[in-house]
Amino acid sequence: MLDRSVAREVLGAALDGGAAFAEIFAEDRRSTSGRLDDGKIEELSTGHDRGAGVRAVAGDTTAYAYSNRLDREALVEAARAAAAAARGSDRTSVLDFTRAEPRVTHDPEEPTAGVPAERKVGWLEEADDAARASGPEVRQVIAGYGDSVQRLVIASSEGLWIEEDRHRLRLMVQVVAARGDVLQTGFEGPAGLGGVEVLRRHPPAEVGEKAARQAIAMLDGSPSPAGEMAVVVGPAGGGVLFHEACGHGLEADTVGKEASIYRGRLGETLGSTIVTGVDDATVEHAWGSFSFDDEGSPAERTVVFEEGMLRSFLYDRFWARKDGAATTGNARRQSYAHLPIPRMTNTSILPGKDDPDDILGDTSRGLYVKALGGGQVNPATGDFVFGASEAYLIEDGRITSPARGANLIGNGIAILQAVDAVASDFDFRPGTCGKDGQGVPVTTGSPTLRIARMTVGGTGG
Amino acid sequence: MADLADLCRAALRAAAEGEAVEAYAGGSRRTEVKAGRGEVESLSRSETRGVGVRVIVDGRLGYAWAADPDVDEVADLVASAREGARHAAPDEANVLPEAAAVEPLAGLFREAQAELGPDRKVELALELDRAATSAHPEVRKVEEVIYADVVSRVAIASTAGVEVERNRTDCWCMVMALAERDGETQTGYSFAVARELDELDWRGAAAEAAERGARLLGARKPPTERVPVVLDPWAASSFLGVLAGALSAEEVQKGRSLLAEKVGERVGAEVLTLVDDGRLPDGPGSAPFDDEGVPTGRTPLIEVGVLRGFLHNTQTAARAGGRSTGNAGRAGYRSLPGVSPTNLVVEPGAEGPEALLARAGTAVYVQSVTGVHSGANPVSGEFSVGATGLRVEGGRLGEPLREMTIASTLQDVLGSLASVGSDLRFFPGGGAIGTPTLLVGEMTVAGA
Repeated sequence: MLDRSVAREVLGAALDGGAAFAEIFAEDRRSTSGRLDDGKIEELSTGHDRGAGVRAVAGDTTAYAYSNRLDREALVEAARAAAAAARGSDRTSVLDFTRAEPRVTHDPEEPTAGVPAERKVGWLEEADDAARASGPEVRQVIAGYGDSVQRLVIASSEGLWIEEDRHRLRLMVQVVAARGDVLQTGFEGPAGLGGVEVLRRHPPAEVGEKAARQAIAMLDGSPSPAGEMAVVVGPAGGGVLFHEACGHGLEADTVGKEASIYRGRLGETLGSTIVTGVDDATVEHAWGSFSFDDEGSPAERTVVFEEGMLRSFLYDRFWARKDGAATTGNARRQSYAHLPIPRMTNTSILPGKDDPDDILGDTSRGLYVKALGGGQVNPATGDFVFGASEAYLIEDGRITSPARGANLIGNGIAILQAVDAVASDFDFRPGTCGKDGQGVPVTTGSPTLRIARMTVGGTGG
Repeated sequence: MADLADLCRAALRAAAEGEAVEAYAGGSRRTEVKAGRGEVESLSRSETRGVGVRVIVDGRLGYAWAADPDVDEVADLVASAREGARHAAPDEANVLPEAAAVEPLAGLFREAQAELGPDRKVELALELDRAATSAHPEVRKVEEVIYADVVSRVAIASTAGVEVERNRTDCWCMVMALAERDGETQTGYSFAVARELDELDWRGAAAEAAERGARLLGARKPPTERVPVVLDPWAASSFLGVLAGALSAEEVQKGRSLLAEKVGERVGAEVLTLVDDGRLPDGPGSAPFDDEGVPTGRTPLIEVGVLRGFLHNTQTAARAGGRSTGNAGRAGYRSLPGVSPTNLVVEPGAEGPEALLARAGTAVYVQSVTGVHSGANPVSGEFSVGATGLRVEGGRLGEPLREMTIASTLQDVLGSLASVGSDLRFFPGGGAIGTPTLLVGEMTVAGA
């Protein structure tokens, strides 16, 4: 994809304006996607994306130029455009390239590249059939399948040379169930860094059934109560909360722009001492993993909160250098069309000691949130809001009727402090995290945990 | 090098007998400058293009796309799409639009903007940073300011006779201001859009971002109560985004719209009139033709509270036995056309926002909502979203409020609409939304 002598020439051109650092990120990505709606395969499509971006850094200014072309002429032109904007007084030269070996790999057991279209279509149909067989209330089923192989090469003026192939597969099923005038949706979407084996762990029929079960369960619900109450979040759900409410404020660019409530607070015990949180890109075959991050640093496991104490921010090279810290391998980009920025990978609250049933039994009244939808957070204040896509009332220590349209609202640090029970179970979910217009694959994980008091928004008064 | 129209023609040459083939080629040249603390943080420039090919054989649809293909690879795309079509289910609604006369739309492409060099753009980003940090005594820094622009070109050609091209220039700026007092930080966001830099109201965006951040300082959680709500255009546009989905014929036909089967019925208060107009001179979403080459037009959607119709592309129109409203939208050459608004506009009323506040008396003024995508159910209309804003007392803005949720249904919001302001404002996106301030009925506001 990229010749070493061309890379050397391009990096040299990018340093021409006096930049201290230059880098090429080149990729070639082939993808397949399919969509089933209303029992029919609507479309099957293939994509071939490719392009390269040249980055030049001079002082605190980053210049970036990219195009779809990987030929020498286009790359040199991009390098010149970057050099023109990254002006400095450095006289850096390009070091000899050394190819870095990965510490962790995620090679697929059964690559999707050789899988015939018939089989991919079959997975969508299996998910659809199982969802429809789950109950007469199932009104609509949409199933989506996607796989991709991203081949990338990163070369830098510091002599870094990395090559990585990332194979991804994802299946998504959304179900609308209806009874009378009430319509509810359910969703299930397993994904992994790997091949067909992802679907052996998550058989399409099981995925369809889970999505349908969620939609049907919520039909029996009443509008969620509103106000402050105890909230027990089921396995995996707490990870979404942690990712949104705390994780974004730990990304070093947010911290560096003084837009984070966590700035200057390393070493402080900000959360409950039963909370330990990590970001771990080394989890094998996880949707948010990789061998190298998108500027070629090895994947790492970073403890961000240790027993409630703030231990580390999440760094890329740029912000690590500014802070005098080391990169934590959290530089990520959606594609060659984007600059790398600090991002989470697989973010989790680690399991604790409590039995999940005891946590519920010990909660006289509150809300049990089984599945969280998307959420948003203001990193400057830590204020967040999340939709609960599947939630139930807790009455006298037992899960009772479903609660519809519940929203969780609160503040990152306040919630970390309010966690008063962490169970020994654990689960995680894949998702796409959006920031600065870039979507990257992530997972969020947690055990069952309880937040002693938080604000629930709902229409049930 | 082959131009976009040449690439489209290469696809048509590869079409087999009895196949309907359409090629969409898009190319763009972008610049983006981010600044903060008096310095340029980053400057990004790009030049990209690509082609997406639809092949329909006996009602079966396949799609294939590639970044920067040459004419040979375009022919390969036709073969890949043909292979995809083999596995898809037949659907009579899979048809390509017939060729139609496209009226040009003046002013979308500005030569001066297309020729503008990077220096002026960098300078503007720095000016924007300075303007934001000198607009208000409690706003001393920004999280970020961005200036960005794009020159984009699209060519579409099909075996049904469509052969169109369009060029446009767009620029915009964004300000995220940080207001601080006694260790508390609040963010204020604003933006401006224009077809060329000389027409961009960046000063207004800077001042507005500072004001919107500063006025939230000291915000507290409100008690849980039911009160009338004033949605400022920002907050209103978030809800209209959900309504836009419900007005898409694609969602209606798939049973995912709360407005299905309600044409001719009252769906909102009489003060509500909503149109989609793809040919507004100042609309960010204006274009001479949509993303499958169908001329854009003006589509009444809600008139005096009564639902009049939905937005269609060629496929949804074929299914409904009607005509496309010119609302095919796609996220570039990588995707098939869906349905998208062009400029979805709430017809403004006569009163300014101050008059609306005076009329409300006691209310909650919402300046931003978060979590609309996760917190609003497009099928049931139920929503519960996070919000920031200010209390309205004695008809004026008062104490700032944070960490609150507002909950209701979209149907109640539309039905209880009491007054529509005159301060129409456009929010660009995948289809622009234009709305003034809206005074709506009571909603549950939850906080402490």
